[in-house]
Amino acid sequence: MLGKSLLGAIAVTAALWMAADAAAADDSKYPNLKGQWVRARIPVPGGGQAPFDPTKPVGRGQQAPLTPEYQKIFEANLAEQATGGQGNWQGGRCLPVGMPGVMNLYRAMEIVVTPETTYFLIDHIRGSSRRIYTDGRDWPKLIEPGFDGYSIGKWIDEDGDGKYDVLEIETRALRLPRAYDPSGLPFHADGKTVVKERMYLDKTKPDTLYNEMTVIDNALTRPWSVKKTYSREGGAQPTWIEDVCAEGQALITVGKEEYFLSGDGYLMPSKKDQGPPNLKYFRQP
Amino acid sequence: MRTRSSIAAIALMAALSMTIGAAVAFDDAKYPDLRGQWLRARAPLPNPGQGPFDPTKRGGRAQEAPLTPEYQKLFEASLADQAAGGQGGWQGGYCLPVGMPGMMTIFRPMEIIVLPETTYIRIDHIRDSNRRIYTDGRDWPKEPPLGYDGYSIGKWIDTDGDGKFDVLEVETRHFKGPRAFEPSGISLHEDNETVVKERIYLDKADRNLLHNEMTVIDNALTRPWTVHKKYSRDKAEFPVWPEDICPEGNGIVRIGVENYFLSGEGHLMPTRKGQEPPDLRYFKPAQK
Repeated sequence: MLGKSLLGAIAVTAALWMAADAAAADDSKYPNLKGQWVRARIPVPGGGQAPFDPTKPVGRGQQAPLTPEYQKIFEANLAEQATGGQGNWQGGRCLPVGMPGVMNLYRAMEIVVTPETTYFLIDHIRGSSRRIYTDGRDWPKLIEPGFDGYSIGKWIDEDGDGKYDVLEIETRALRLPRAYDPSGLPFHADGKTVVKERMYLDKTKPDTLYNEMTVIDNALTRPWSVKKTYSREGGAQPTWIEDVCAEGQALITVGKEEYFLSGDGYLMPSKKDQGPPNLKYFRQP
Repeated sequence: MRTRSSIAAIALMAALSMTIGAAVAFDDAKYPDLRGQWLRARAPLPNPGQGPFDPTKRGGRAQEAPLTPEYQKLFEASLADQAAGGQGGWQGGYCLPVGMPGMMTIFRPMEIIVLPETTYIRIDHIRDSNRRIYTDGRDWPKEPPLGYDGYSIGKWIDTDGDGKFDVLEVETRHFKGPRAFEPSGISLHEDNETVVKERIYLDKADRNLLHNEMTVIDNALTRPWTVHKKYSRDKAEFPVWPEDICPEGNGIVRIGVENYFLSGEGHLMPTRKGQEPPDLRYFKPAQK
């Protein structure tokens, strides 16, 4: 009888092992990236809207390694912003921030890990959903460029403990117009930016996530590397807010000109001495 | 010795079993395979118009939406405005999201990601919407965030008792507006107290056909409105996911409550006959 019990126990264990093989997603192999991630605030002099390099002041303080040509473009952009315009920053027109700026996290981020794809969900301006393909695919021959680009990633077990701890990502096929941050730091007009990322949890603080990001772009004199830090917040059931740029948008673009919308619903200039829009297509009294 | 060996073996197997159970956190074999790219299954209708809410009928009046007299009047006014060149009750032209329930017409491809606590429905149309359907057993929140997509709680059901889930039942509340059912501008009530119920399941005979039985309860309606939507799975191994960037190339410029067109050369144009130009009271008169 004991022999039969033992055989029975063996059979049960074997069946359990087979069931384990059938489970396609063993999420214990992956770091726990669930929850709500926000930008870790690092105090820098001058403040300003979240800069690309979070350790330096926004704008010129970023000391972006721009070529002389693109430094000129950047300066012209700053001059336009100083007079009330948007410069190179496309976010004011409700165009997406795109990569790499979207990873500045102006809004909260959710990371969804599946074996074939890791998703970064960031609802800012339009609700970006980056897909990081980790299914071993090659780069497609033809990629439709996008603001978020096309990303291929690889999970790495750096310390050999049987669990992944780093996600390495490369992103290509990025379209324009994009800027690094609201100061309007420009990318090259050739659209050949490549962004590389290494993302990993802090080993001693599991609610801290790092993103070592390197941008390779022909507007730069060298690759530009920054380190971003995100904090996990929001508790077990975080609140996810929709960011609908078109709602309450006070900036009206007519051709190349930007105007404001007054509180009573009329067009207003956004810059000193700005002329009104051309009304040639309307019947004039 | 035999007894001790047996006991030891049993203890070892028990330990192994516990390890197996702990290591496998998500058994996706229990859930239907909803991966891939889903597209609206086109109903065989002549001239259906833009994504009608009820896919078995043409858009507009032919939907026979069970509207209250008040909201039927609003709908007629929407149709008249659209006939004159306006957008009527359809908010998509201003780059506002379609929201629920209209977004489940899927004007653009859909992706579904199933995890134990949440099923995500992603549709990049006007904005990259990510519906979160919480299946973690939570209660309705006391202070929910309001949104065009609403707040959804779902439950997986094994209707045939085979140990695998086959139906996802969803209820969605807590909306903001304006929202319309479809581009003809059939509006939902401005009180935004809509409730949407869905039963989503794969076709048993065709695993690349997904059904969504949707019922809308709304104060613009005289009764709950139930429709049956179907989606087909694109069989491409690596589907392409285009970004839909509404403000890009959008020829509609909204100033206050008026819509204008943008000409090819970037000047404002009227959208309807006799439309007045925008009021330029805040510009210096000498610059006119």
